[in-house]
Amino acid sequence: MYLGKTIEELHELLVSKKVTPLELVKEAIDALKKETTNAIETICEKEALEFASSLVEPEVDNLLWGIPYVCKDNFSTKGILTTASSNILSDYIPVFDATVIRKLKDKKAVLICKTTLDELAMGGTGTTGHKGVTYNPYDETHTYKVGGSSCGSASICAQGITPFALGSDTGDSVRKPATYAGLVGFKPTWGRISRFGLFPFAPSLDHVAYFTRSVKDSAIVLEHIAGYDVEHDATSSPKAVENYYSLIDGNVSNKKIAYIKEINDAIKDAPIREGINKCIDILKSKGALVEEVSFDQNLLAAIYPSYLIISCAEATSNNANLDGIKFGLREGDASSYQEIMINARTKGFGELIKRRFVIGSFSLFKANQEELFIRAQKARRLIVNKVNEILSDYDAILTPCGGIIRNPIVSNESDDDRLDINQMIVENHLGMGNFAGLPSISIPMGLDNNFPYGANVMTKAFDEVGAFNIAYALEEDLGLRNINTVKKVND
Amino acid sequence: MNFEAVIGIEIHVEMKTRSKMFSSSPIAFGKEANTLVTPLDMAFPGTMPIVNKQAVINAIRVSNALNMTIDNELWFDRKNYFYSDLPKGFQITQDKRPIGRDGYLEVKLSNGTIKKIEIERLHMEEDTCKQLHMADYTLIDYNRAGTPLIEIVSRPNIRSGEEAMKYVETIKSIVVFSDVSDGKMEEGSLRCDVNISLRPYGSDTYGTKVEVKNLNSTANVQRAIDFEIKRQTKSLLSGIPIEQETRRFDELKRETVLMRKKTDSVDYKYFTEPNIVPIKLSDEFIETAIKTCPELADAKIARFKEIGLSEEEASQMIQNRLMAAYFDRCIKVNPKRAKAFWNWLNGDILAYLNKHEIEITSLVVTPENLNSLIDMLEKGTLSFNQARTVFEKMAIDNKDASSIADELGLKQNSNEDEIRKIVEETINEFPQSVVDYKAGKDRAVGFLVGQIMKKTKGKVNPAITSKLVVEILKSK
Repeated sequence: MYLGKTIEELHELLVSKKVTPLELVKEAIDALKKETTNAIETICEKEALEFASSLVEPEVDNLLWGIPYVCKDNFSTKGILTTASSNILSDYIPVFDATVIRKLKDKKAVLICKTTLDELAMGGTGTTGHKGVTYNPYDETHTYKVGGSSCGSASICAQGITPFALGSDTGDSVRKPATYAGLVGFKPTWGRISRFGLFPFAPSLDHVAYFTRSVKDSAIVLEHIAGYDVEHDATSSPKAVENYYSLIDGNVSNKKIAYIKEINDAIKDAPIREGINKCIDILKSKGALVEEVSFDQNLLAAIYPSYLIISCAEATSNNANLDGIKFGLREGDASSYQEIMINARTKGFGELIKRRFVIGSFSLFKANQEELFIRAQKARRLIVNKVNEILSDYDAILTPCGGIIRNPIVSNESDDDRLDINQMIVENHLGMGNFAGLPSISIPMGLDNNFPYGANVMTKAFDEVGAFNIAYALEEDLGLRNINTVKKVND
Repeated sequence: MNFEAVIGIEIHVEMKTRSKMFSSSPIAFGKEANTLVTPLDMAFPGTMPIVNKQAVINAIRVSNALNMTIDNELWFDRKNYFYSDLPKGFQITQDKRPIGRDGYLEVKLSNGTIKKIEIERLHMEEDTCKQLHMADYTLIDYNRAGTPLIEIVSRPNIRSGEEAMKYVETIKSIVVFSDVSDGKMEEGSLRCDVNISLRPYGSDTYGTKVEVKNLNSTANVQRAIDFEIKRQTKSLLSGIPIEQETRRFDELKRETVLMRKKTDSVDYKYFTEPNIVPIKLSDEFIETAIKTCPELADAKIARFKEIGLSEEEASQMIQNRLMAAYFDRCIKVNPKRAKAFWNWLNGDILAYLNKHEIEITSLVVTPENLNSLIDMLEKGTLSFNQARTVFEKMAIDNKDASSIADELGLKQNSNEDEIRKIVEETINEFPQSVVDYKAGKDRAVGFLVGQIMKKTKGKVNPAITSKLVVEILKSK
């Protein structure tokens, strides 16, 4: 009976002692056990119940006190199996907590479950994890994607089992599934949240990101997990963390907001086009200046190929530690270290991963580096320059999250790597937020026959408050805060 | 045909920082295997590197000593390859932008000429695990994984074994005196790989190079190169081409032996380490690192010469950094006594240390007490032999020289009035000696001094005594 509530709502109930953390956690775990989207790696039942039982006296000023949450299974959790949805880590139990996990523990939020992902977070379909496809709770026919790679977290949060869910976002791995799952998906500036303990996919693009059911909840979570991590993450920012939650007022009257002609022109489905126009009207009606800008189509089309090259190159190196020597899969008898490594990596990785490692290695070879890796870096620089150029004139960029509402689950898991023009412009432009490391928030923009689709707002570096405010202004008028139309497991 | 040797040297120096290059794990030698390890050292997923500031300071100091251009931004790269001693599957190193570039070193050869050896680069990186290969399994010790290293790469303008030996010796001295490393080749804290090729004099192309590893002393660097030059010359003269290969130096046979043929070089797929954003090094930071660098050998020699040591004595004194440090403390106590301290350090103290197999840091005699001992010796309060005895006792008790001399009843009497009394007494006891002396028998003096020593148990100053004996005999 407490499912489908926001952090704000649950906090009220907790401090007024209408419900205890233990009751919340029990209810959520029951719901997890009944859920049918294949979103779960490990339920941390024992740990969660124990921790929740210890939470007795409510902390009035701590909005996360006693709030249950789930996290993608690529965050290091001490003593709790962490697989990254890969066979190579099917028995890996970390010895330390990721910084965000530690911070949430300190805030008395209760981790109840580790969720599925595309293997090692490399993928955008929610289909390549070692447990198979994770389904979209909005689609009982199991035909359409929930998206990935943070598929499990998206599904659990969409089902209202927990009010927030941690994920990671390297290309759009939270913000895209947020669209398909009717959620708020947010990643802040690169360096705002410590990545220590997040299994790396491509560090120069990786962000800790998360799902919530409202914009204000998103601000609450950021406030508690952001911050400098001097001992563990040299890329984390020493900039002071702001009071994001209390700074949200929805005032956009002096904001200048740009939308990109070439992206809007590539939208396929009419409701998305209408949705974007509606967003523009809402912002204008609230006093914002909203204008069209142009973005070189070739540059837009370069986002995905450059992303593939850079992310695969970094990934092949980051995952070289998974060799079966120190931890993880050790298969069969081996007569040499090479055999141990080859066995582990042959049996431990899925096809898409191997394919991406080959792409990454190939683009880093001395003979190819200039033509592939360096060229992709140069493209990245040009794209970032263009984004920053727009953001020197405007406070934010408004885009649709994608051009198609329903994306079918395809059997060929490598299909997402295909480079058709539609794929490249309207379906993968969110990657520019990773290239530039900027705050980027996806929010539900509409429902088409009870299937959600979203809009995205991107702002200047460290202008998280700006992103929250514009998103909040839209959320207020779109009326899609905390959507509860998904068929709940307990109904 | 005469050949010219073309030699380049790569030196790896293990730094003795308190913690590892990128993790907070402490560094120590000889600890139980796998006890100095953090999750990062074993490459657990999600761990991230944090640059060790002291390692950067060390690298700046050595770069400066090698006359290098120091980069004002720190960049790190990944060198990717799979090996069981490489936990992450890549090594964090500095490929594109080493912290030090384009330096040189001048070494003095035995024929008196100065050779300028050019240095291409100096960069920081991390060490790998230590492996113990058993008959049918391998043990891995992660204690060493992540130990900070400095790699120094010379240009191939070294031409002989002697030049190479001097070059390595000088770099060793720099890293030891700057307190960057123990610089112990025999323990592997300074490792040196040599590349040698030959070409006909006058040629400006390079021959096929051979790499020699396992050089555990500067002397062996020279021996290995000398051997290799002979081997390659012989081979070339017999028309057998040199193959690209890695050889190691066999200390017993004093020759290089084949380890492996080099196949295609590995493609390390270098790229910038994304988890370390480039770090700006301010001029102030670099200058402070340089200014606060412990004094290097050359500067010490110059300073020691100023206070009265010869070139040889000064050079001798810096052979051991700890001895030099002790000497420095001594001359701080008494700057005018450099020579006497030098004599003690290289004489009795060295003998004492060798006898007891200890380093000077374990010597309990303080420079202050050594100084007071020399005081007593110079004033004649102690004879040289007495001083030695006192020193031996000081080395156990660490009391000041005077109280030990008292305890041992060893003080020498140099009071002329008192000695004069004893002399007169003794001459009176042996009147024949006056007669002998007058008759030109000089041994009468020796006889009397001997009697006096016997009587006083050697506690009178012999020089004063014999002076007075002669004086009084003459006056009789």
